[in-house]
Amino acid sequence: MKKVAYYKGCLAALSAKELDSATQALAPRVGLELEELESVTCCGAGDIHEAEPDYYLHLNARILAYGEATGSDTLMTVCNVCTLNLRQANFTLQKDDDLRERVNRNLEAVGVPPYSGGIEVKHLLWMIAEGEGYEALKQAAHKGLKGLKIAPFYGCQILRPSKLLGFEDPDRPWSLEAIIEACGGEPVDYPAKIKCCGFPIIQAREETALGELIQPIEQAMEAGADAMVTPCPLCHLSLDAWQQKLEASTGRSFQMPILHLSQLIGVAAGLEDSELKFKRHVVPMTPVLEKLEA
Amino acid sequence: MSLTESIVRSEYATMTVALKIWRFDASTGERELKDYELEAPEWACLLDVLDLIKDKVDGSLAYRKSCRMMICGSCGMRMDGAAVLACKERMKPIVDRGHVPVISAMGNLPIVRDLVVDMGPFWNKIKAVKPWLDPGYDEVAEKERIVSQQAMNVIHKEALCIMCGCCVSECNSMESDPDFLGPAALAKGFRMVGDPRDQAEVERLNDLNEEHGIWDCTRCYFCNERCPKGVDPRDAIAKLGAESVKQGIDHDMGAKHAKWFVTSAKTTGWLRETELVPKTQGVVSAIKQTKFALKLFRHGKVPLPFPPHVAEGVEESRALYDLVRTQDRRGALGIVQGERALAKIDQEHPEGSGSGWGSRAQADITPGERPTRGKGGEA
Repeated sequence: MKKVAYYKGCLAALSAKELDSATQALAPRVGLELEELESVTCCGAGDIHEAEPDYYLHLNARILAYGEATGSDTLMTVCNVCTLNLRQANFTLQKDDDLRERVNRNLEAVGVPPYSGGIEVKHLLWMIAEGEGYEALKQAAHKGLKGLKIAPFYGCQILRPSKLLGFEDPDRPWSLEAIIEACGGEPVDYPAKIKCCGFPIIQAREETALGELIQPIEQAMEAGADAMVTPCPLCHLSLDAWQQKLEASTGRSFQMPILHLSQLIGVAAGLEDSELKFKRHVVPMTPVLEKLEA
Repeated sequence: MSLTESIVRSEYATMTVALKIWRFDASTGERELKDYELEAPEWACLLDVLDLIKDKVDGSLAYRKSCRMMICGSCGMRMDGAAVLACKERMKPIVDRGHVPVISAMGNLPIVRDLVVDMGPFWNKIKAVKPWLDPGYDEVAEKERIVSQQAMNVIHKEALCIMCGCCVSECNSMESDPDFLGPAALAKGFRMVGDPRDQAEVERLNDLNEEHGIWDCTRCYFCNERCPKGVDPRDAIAKLGAESVKQGIDHDMGAKHAKWFVTSAKTTGWLRETELVPKTQGVVSAIKQTKFALKLFRHGKVPLPFPPHVAEGVEESRALYDLVRTQDRRGALGIVQGERALAKIDQEHPEGSGSGWGSRAQADITPGERPTRGKGGEA
């Protein structure tokens, strides 16, 4: 068992609770012991970075400090946006001693332990796409996903900017495909799998965002996918919940089921429905599960 | 002596380069993917190979070039679907892997012929951000005005832009909204806003807060990934956002959206999702979305705002907010302060990266094609 500090982020705590419950249920089966961080806040999702960048840095330093205080060397995330925000702050703090000193003075002034720079931020995807996690995953996924064609959707902020993320080639990622195959499913390929789902501007610029969102859904459908899987709850919200707006604006029917990464593996590992919580999805998962049972 | 002559005289060790080029003729609309194979010196970059093709194989191939040293910004094009400067891409590692790259024109701009795009729309957007300094006086002062190095460091990265268009090529927002000012023009915008000699900051920020400006950026980070000069245009856009909020220019829904995250973090700690729509779009627009919201509510996607979901220790987050606001690091400076650290990462990138850092030298297949197992396209 590898002990990690678990930062679930806003969505898994609120509108995507199914991501949290599936992750918590899955973790021990893939060799992860989660120590959930309680005394933490939102990472700012790129928005605080854009409105009050100095506050963004301190909020993330505080999350890193509490992560480090667990004694683990890894802070695990389940969201692309959390991953980039925390890694960006972490690199900055690790590489710039003067800056870290200033931030630590501020943290200590409000009662937060100082951050020494000793934790690495990793997404669940990276923990199980290779090494021990991958071996454990292969064992855990005994039930399989036989006969299912799954479209991997990476989203942006787990690939780019690669100098801050850097797990895999941002133009030719392989990790989701490896996991789909390990679970017994068939990955389908399509160009928009590395593009933007439109979520960051879905409220301020809905039309532009929907113009982005249609690409992966349409292409996954054309590639014959039974469902899509994403490592990011924001992409999930966009692909799943805003799909109905896409249907309304185009007059077309997509009905493409969208899985969180933890749910995809969870199905293959035989997790209970009470842990996977598919009822919380807007697009029903029933056709996928029925095909799997058939 | 020309490159071709040098090769004929066998002055250099050579290699056999194979590539495919998307040829295009705007007058007929004909498009064809053509194969090429030729001998080139081992040190050849993509631009050298194109020169050899034009010299020895097919004189009709059209592409732009000038300086050959990553400073004029003429030779932007796509290799395997990713925008690059042809003069920066060494071919040897690609040849060694037996890979045949596909070369095509940049995206988001109309193709004139083969690899040549019409840069007109690009220049119009650059012009729209008024890329000249407004010093706020007409008469030249008698004494020289000295600007500190520290002040110029604020816009150092943005000043590196060579306007090649690589960032624009894959901009996801621009694919959906062709009128979006885009990463190059917005980076130029910050280069002016952040310049201590410019006196038109507020006017500029107001312009850049219009529709198709700062808040249209979808944060896909393709611009940072593609820029061959390390400008990091997405970060420049964030700096413009931070400066706008600092100056109280926050009428755009994007700014309101961003500010709501700040409010959430210092009041409940976690994002107050349900209130995000009315806080961003206003109450009237939010009411119009009732039907959509009800459907989401049925699936638990609209958490009830009361009682609020409050993070443990949120008073620390509030205290941090109050504290850092007093430290004069608001606006772009809050992002710039990490600049030194990020510059170090840049330098460490080549040796510290190991495999899988997405270097274009590892170009392997077109994005979207079947991925190769192993990091960075190892077989």
